[in-house]
Amino acid sequence: MSENIIETSGLTRNYGDICALKPLELKVPEGEWLSVMGHSGSGKSTFMNLVGGLDRPSAGSLKVGGEDLLALTEDGLARFRRKFVGIIFQQHHMVPYLTAVENVMLAQYFHSVPDEAEARSALERVGLGHRLKNRPGELSGGEQQRVCIARAIINSPKLLLGDEPTGNLDHKSTVMIMELLKELRAEERFTVIMVTHNQEVAAWGDRTIYLDDGVLVREERMGEKQ
Amino acid sequence: MKRLLQTFLIVGSSRAIAPVVIGLFFLFYIGIAFFTDETLIALMAFTRKSIILAAILSLIPLSCGVRILQETVVFMKRRRSLSGKSVDSLPELFDETVELPVSPFMSELEGRLIGVGYKTRRSLNTLAAWRGISLFPARMLFLTATCCLFTGILISVTSRTSDRRMVIEGESMPMPDGTGGTVERITLANSSGSILAKTLTMEIAPSNSGQGKKTFGLYPPALYGGSFVYPRYLGLAVLLRFSAPDLQAGYDTHCSLNTYPPGKEDNVVIPGSPYRIVLSVPIPAANSERYVSYMSGKINLLFKVLKGKEVLFSGSVPAGGEFMRDGYRLALPDVRRLVITDFIGDYGVLLIWAAGLIFATAVSLWLPIRLFFPRREMLLSFEPDLIRSCSRSEGRARTHAGVFHEVLDLVDARKV
Amino acid sequence: MAIILKTIPHLLAWSVIVLVSFRGFTGRRSVVTLSSISGLIIGVSGSCILFRSFPGAIPFGIIKSILGLSFLLLWGVSVASGYSNAVRGEAFCRSKQFFQSSICAGTVTGIISMVAGAVSVCALPVTGISALSMVFLALSSALIAYFIVYAVRFIEKRLPESFMVSPLGMVVSVVSLLLFSSSSILRLDLFSPLSMKVMKGIHDFVHQFMESILIPDHLFVRPIVWKYIGFLFGNGVGFWGAMVIWFAPVFLIITAFLSERLPSVAHIRQGAQRRTLLAAAVTLRRCRLVMPLLSILIFAAAAYQSSYPSVEYWDPKPLAVTASQAGEIFIPKKGEINLEDGKLHKYLFKKGDKEARFFVLKGPAGQLTVDLDACAICKPDGYGQTEGTVICYYCKTLIPLETVGKPGGCNPVPVQFTEKADGVIIDAITLINSWGATVQATARVKEGGK
Repeated sequence: MSENIIETSGLTRNYGDICALKPLELKVPEGEWLSVMGHSGSGKSTFMNLVGGLDRPSAGSLKVGGEDLLALTEDGLARFRRKFVGIIFQQHHMVPYLTAVENVMLAQYFHSVPDEAEARSALERVGLGHRLKNRPGELSGGEQQRVCIARAIINSPKLLLGDEPTGNLDHKSTVMIMELLKELRAEERFTVIMVTHNQEVAAWGDRTIYLDDGVLVREERMGEKQ
Repeated sequence: MKRLLQTFLIVGSSRAIAPVVIGLFFLFYIGIAFFTDETLIALMAFTRKSIILAAILSLIPLSCGVRILQETVVFMKRRRSLSGKSVDSLPELFDETVELPVSPFMSELEGRLIGVGYKTRRSLNTLAAWRGISLFPARMLFLTATCCLFTGILISVTSRTSDRRMVIEGESMPMPDGTGGTVERITLANSSGSILAKTLTMEIAPSNSGQGKKTFGLYPPALYGGSFVYPRYLGLAVLLRFSAPDLQAGYDTHCSLNTYPPGKEDNVVIPGSPYRIVLSVPIPAANSERYVSYMSGKINLLFKVLKGKEVLFSGSVPAGGEFMRDGYRLALPDVRRLVITDFIGDYGVLLIWAAGLIFATAVSLWLPIRLFFPRREMLLSFEPDLIRSCSRSEGRARTHAGVFHEVLDLVDARKV
Repeated sequence: MAIILKTIPHLLAWSVIVLVSFRGFTGRRSVVTLSSISGLIIGVSGSCILFRSFPGAIPFGIIKSILGLSFLLLWGVSVASGYSNAVRGEAFCRSKQFFQSSICAGTVTGIISMVAGAVSVCALPVTGISALSMVFLALSSALIAYFIVYAVRFIEKRLPESFMVSPLGMVVSVVSLLLFSSSSILRLDLFSPLSMKVMKGIHDFVHQFMESILIPDHLFVRPIVWKYIGFLFGNGVGFWGAMVIWFAPVFLIITAFLSERLPSVAHIRQGAQRRTLLAAAVTLRRCRLVMPLLSILIFAAAAYQSSYPSVEYWDPKPLAVTASQAGEIFIPKKGEINLEDGKLHKYLFKKGDKEARFFVLKGPAGQLTVDLDACAICKPDGYGQTEGTVICYYCKTLIPLETVGKPGGCNPVPVQFTEKADGVIIDAITLINSWGATVQATARVKEGGK
């Protein structure tokens, strides 16, 4: 039985009077692909932000990789994100005037030191060996998302968070991205938390949890796809 | 004996020798500075006289020689290993070495390395990859230059002889053994060179001792009779005739006057009399050539005749002319150009010049190579179920290390 | 009160030295505490004994020599650091263990504190100090040292961990602080004498170099080229040369840190892990650079203090004098000016368009001396007098009063004179000629003549 990479207990997040996430009890084993589903405003992104150390809980406890995120200072939290977490957003958030390889190297720079050969290698792994020197504007949506994946995995995170990564992609590109993530997970053995409201995308996970109005309402364990 | 030789090689090739020796001399310099103001000259004099100091100084060229040998051996060994002829003592030849327990798949690796700009060579059990140009030639030149420089300094400090003489137009070249040819002509002319403003040529006729016709310029100074001819200052050789009411017999003397640059005074003392004659070349008008008199040979000398401390009279007299007043007569029947010249016996100078040239070559090689084409090498040698990977770089180390790590990652990803 | 204020900069410098020692010898806090306090007390008492036992110039000379040695040590260490890098710093790894031992920590901090104590004492008027004052000074220093060390311990605990002091960083910062401390004391200052020696050294070197490789004299060389060469004979070369020597060790150490090889990470198969290790090494290197970089500022402050000392000199306006019909200048011993008061008295003699500036001084040995207000080396900016010395305004070299009247170096050029019961007589022609020759010679040096 693998260890839990995420353990929450009474995890709550309030924004003023609004309770975005009501006390949540959740355990995610290391290496699991967890899909988080729910309609808009259900608390999916709040949950992801808390787990990724992008936001702080209002109450409860949250342990990620054995690290109590509530006990960390801002610097500690930044170190935690650098070392532990890779994030893929729906919007790519790439620097438009840097090439694909430079965008990946930027992530290396914020993590430790840049290494062009490794960045190039990461882009080749996501199938963009021929687009290294292209800027984001010269890449298709799917290609841009693959650059984001390369950028997210370049620092070998233990936890990969996806916030609607395929939200802007067509079906074919979505499948390609999901297949790529599956392959990479098999190689790198990281844990995936994928926030989506697309049932098809959620189905790529090992387990799906459903949030509604900040409450975990349902949980489904999936069989192997394909 | 072999052990002794090894110890000598280890000590001799130490990079510490040069700074330690230079530091030691620097300490001597500081020590001497407490006792005299002419510190450098004193230090040079000490080194000339002391065998121990000379021996210490000689450690630098010796060490450079040993380093040249040692680094050449290492370079050749590395070349052999990169060409796949030998894979002995690899870790010593490279910056870093890693062993991975995997089997070879050379063609893929080779393709990868070619793809990122490396040249490759495959042999039965090795794959070598490199790019850029080796700094080895520049390094060898640097060591050779250092060796030459310090050998030159050593020779110069311990054995230089210097003999100052007057080279006079129409006279024999003043060689110590009297075998110099006649100085046919001394010419001073303006030059359009970027460093020298003037050219000075001394044409010497063939001598009795078999020396052919020679012409000496300013730089680099040429050898004559085993010594460098080093022109220092300009002057005039004058035949001076002087008579006075109380010196009716008159007085003739050949004298050398150090009267250049114009305005500089030199004097001739009439022995056995209270007379002294101060001579100088008049300063030409502003913006005109200062050495025009020397260049043209049309020399007009200003003079002051002194009796004791009293100036009797002054005036000017042209070369070949005379001046008469109140029973006094001053004549300059013969005025010739002369060059006050040092005859320097010092072959160390040749080595110092050579060192300068070699240093310049080394730097002009080193700089572009180091900046634009630094050598980066890696060698993968395959043994059953083991790959030994070695890498070194002379620049752009981080980028090269990235490629090296990538290659190792590729190898590692293939392990079963 | 003013006397106590004089020691404050020195005690501050020592406090920083103690702080650096705490960080440099991690885990040796009690040893550093003890040896720092005892070192300061020994330094203060020892230098007091020196000043009681020897005439003024000798104790200053001893302490200045120790400071000079510390600067040479810094040079040695900085060169060695560069070279040890070339062979991957193996020698330094071995010596690091010894450096961290309590024996080393105790000895090093003890010696440093002794020197700092001795330097602080030099800021006080201690020549001929009484035994009672000496005991008082030692006791006060013990008390002050105790408070300072504990205050520094308090501060040090609150400093961030990233403020780390490597052995090299410690050497460079300690030497810079000692030199900063000493540069405010005229007779311990190293920078100005260094400038003077460097100027002479460069003049000699360039001259010898040109003769060695047989370069033609300036007569044959294009004026523009000679202008560049002439820079090496110019006024500023001593200052700039000394600046190079002053700062070079710090820059050598910084270069050694920057060119240190990063650790080999080729055996690690995960890129992020490799880069993390490399980043840690780079961060460590940056942290180690902090002390050398701060030392640059301290060295600069020391050089500034030395170049613009906050000392007031006795520098009277030259009094115009005339010569008699016989060409003699007579200066009475008594009258408006008392020649025998031990102070420097300046005079100006003019003859036609020529003039000469000179001074008369009664030295500590009771001998009158007449000297030009110029030396044979520097521009004739003249001399001022301060406690026990005269100073050359141009190169800031201090000449002990005992040696004024002797020729050589930067000493004022002595002038022949006749001492009578009521005054001194100087030959006007000799004076004018001597001034002319001196000023002409120093001007020629600056024009680049050989």
